[in-house]
Amino acid sequence: MVEKLQQNRILWLSSLTCNGNSHSLLNHPNLDLLLQNIQFLYHPLLPSRYRLKEVIQNSYECEILVIEGSIDPTLKINGVKMIDVITRYSSIAEVVITAGTCSTFGGIFSRSNEKASGLHFREEKRTEDFKNIWQKSISLPGCPVHPDLIFKTIQMILKGLYIDLDECRRPKIFYGWTVHDGCNRNEYYEYKIGHHRFGEMEGCMFIDHGCRAPFTRGSCNKILWNGINSKTRAGQPCSGCTEPDFPAFNLWETKKHMGIPAHAPLGVPKRAYISIAGVAKAFKIERFEKRILKKGSAVEKKH
Amino acid sequence: MKKSIELIEKIEGEAELHCAYGTDGRVVDAQIQFTSARNIEKILQGRDPKDALIINPRVCGICNHAHLIATVRALEACYKSVKISQKSQICREVTLSLELIQSHFKWFYLTIMPLLGFKPAIEKALKPSRIAAEAIAAFAGQYPHNSYAIAGGIVSDITPIELINAKERIEALKKLFKESLIDADPALFKECDKIETMLKHRGDMPLAMAKIIENGWQMMGKSEDRFIVFAEGAFKKGKSIGTRVSTNISTGHIKEESIKRSLAKRVLYKDRGYEVGPLARAMLMKTALIKESHRKYADSIFSRILARVCEIPQLIIYIESLLHRLDLSEESWIDPGEFPKRAVGAGVVEAARGSLVHKVEIEEGVIKEYNIITPTQWNLGSGDIEKPGIAQKALIGLKNSDPIELVLKSFDVCSVCTTH
Repeated sequence: MVEKLQQNRILWLSSLTCNGNSHSLLNHPNLDLLLQNIQFLYHPLLPSRYRLKEVIQNSYECEILVIEGSIDPTLKINGVKMIDVITRYSSIAEVVITAGTCSTFGGIFSRSNEKASGLHFREEKRTEDFKNIWQKSISLPGCPVHPDLIFKTIQMILKGLYIDLDECRRPKIFYGWTVHDGCNRNEYYEYKIGHHRFGEMEGCMFIDHGCRAPFTRGSCNKILWNGINSKTRAGQPCSGCTEPDFPAFNLWETKKHMGIPAHAPLGVPKRAYISIAGVAKAFKIERFEKRILKKGSAVEKKH
Repeated sequence: MKKSIELIEKIEGEAELHCAYGTDGRVVDAQIQFTSARNIEKILQGRDPKDALIINPRVCGICNHAHLIATVRALEACYKSVKISQKSQICREVTLSLELIQSHFKWFYLTIMPLLGFKPAIEKALKPSRIAAEAIAAFAGQYPHNSYAIAGGIVSDITPIELINAKERIEALKKLFKESLIDADPALFKECDKIETMLKHRGDMPLAMAKIIENGWQMMGKSEDRFIVFAEGAFKKGKSIGTRVSTNISTGHIKEESIKRSLAKRVLYKDRGYEVGPLARAMLMKTALIKESHRKYADSIFSRILARVCEIPQLIIYIESLLHRLDLSEESWIDPGEFPKRAVGAGVVEAARGSLVHKVEIEEGVIKEYNIITPTQWNLGSGDIEKPGIAQKALIGLKNSDPIELVLKSFDVCSVCTTH
């Protein structure tokens, strides 16, 4: 994967999908720069060199294959099984990217369809299919995947840069840390202050409201969404959309055992978490006890 | 009888269009078939009702926010009463309207313009939709696929910073509207009531509309001339048979029917098919320019396409008036209390392509049944020759050399929504 590609042809194939990853990519502010450097043989929204029918019927040379959506072995388009089309092009392409949680881990649409799965995984479990292309796969989970992750991954591939991958073939640069990293509610988390009420900027949502950011891999709070915000910054608990178990159950509540969150932060032993939480909670920190933003301070002057 | 099967692509997925032609070479029957199904309604069964707020936007990558708002309305309808502040109501309307704007731009530039023979103008499609997405994210955290609307309001604390971030982008959208679609201020253009006046302007809207006339396509794609709109806000609720409006409608009269060979269901209101979407909304609102277009060209592709593009300035003005009324000192969220253990609720919303209905049934505190009726089901659901669907009727009678794909895509088919 460190060799520079000779040509930059990308084929984007969809299986069972909402098209969210395709639309997400369209929000990238520098998409026009990418389009100057690559050619889409097919993309579900953008002008493409071929029609989907031609792509399905023929075998065109391409360097990068992007797959979106859960792979359902029974799904046919134009009379041809999509899994066969994916198999064919994944052997032609030099790199295969799974864009989104569905094509990586199966995601939402594998929950109602036992046959559907991700390219290499069904939730956490490795599948046997597509074993032969494991070495050229890159996983970019997310529901949807952040546009900059696709953008930068393609750039790294085009430039022949080394991409350090984890055990699920996710680039560590994007998935090595958690969504919690960069959240602007971290001060509350550090001192284990829940105090979160929807509609307010104060308080940590991990304590009561089901925020999965401390054990969800991703960089939402560092690169931000749409260049300006993130779910947890706005006040929506992280729903863990990049993880194999997405969508988990009871997404707005923190599951607890004897008052302790059942799911500890990524890689943190529960005992360590309990000890630290206990110490942090022992202090009463005045600054966090009341709202920082005064109610009514935010009234816009009426014209 | 000659038959053809076309794979229609780039409609948020794909569908197969099966046409049968008569001896005169005209379409005598057209069946639109969707070949995948994702069963999102099944995924919801047995779950905490609030999970629907996270799962349902994933029905559709382009109208995900409409699905969120329909969900929150359906959940709120389950309560005996829910108080929500005007502030959170305004925010929801603003972000929903912004989603319509981004969808309209993408559809016009990526779908319609190329079918009229113009070179695809990617930046003209993507710059405004990107900016609209940023404005949504300012309030809602991210776009697509946020869940910032919850029973009782919104999760975000809208401070002056979020407001400034959003307002800057509304200004930018106004500028882009003028620069690319038509060289007129949205507020002034809203008053325009003559096709001829519109055509004299510069911009891609008059260019596209003139091209339809130049090609002699302005009367094509006529359908039942029956329109229905279920949700209010930027629009007016009611149905219109031709120009005869009645405002007394209820979601109780909506019925879904299975269609042979297709994984989509068709939808009827009191046993009749209705067109939903921008043209329906313009007919109910009696938008001046669309009224004239309907008088001249009836419910053809000309009126349908013009109606959708004309929503952009209307929505920009609507958003501005809403933001002007936004009182940031109000609560973003008012605790609605425990979710009812047993209830039913329905939520309707006007998505880019038309009315979207969500219905939920709660038993023992979890979702028992969830039902989603999408705009594409109204417009694209096929019937039979005696009782054709809306798009089907628009296609019947066309010759092979006519712009069949344009007529079909003037409804803006959404495959993923339809096969939810």
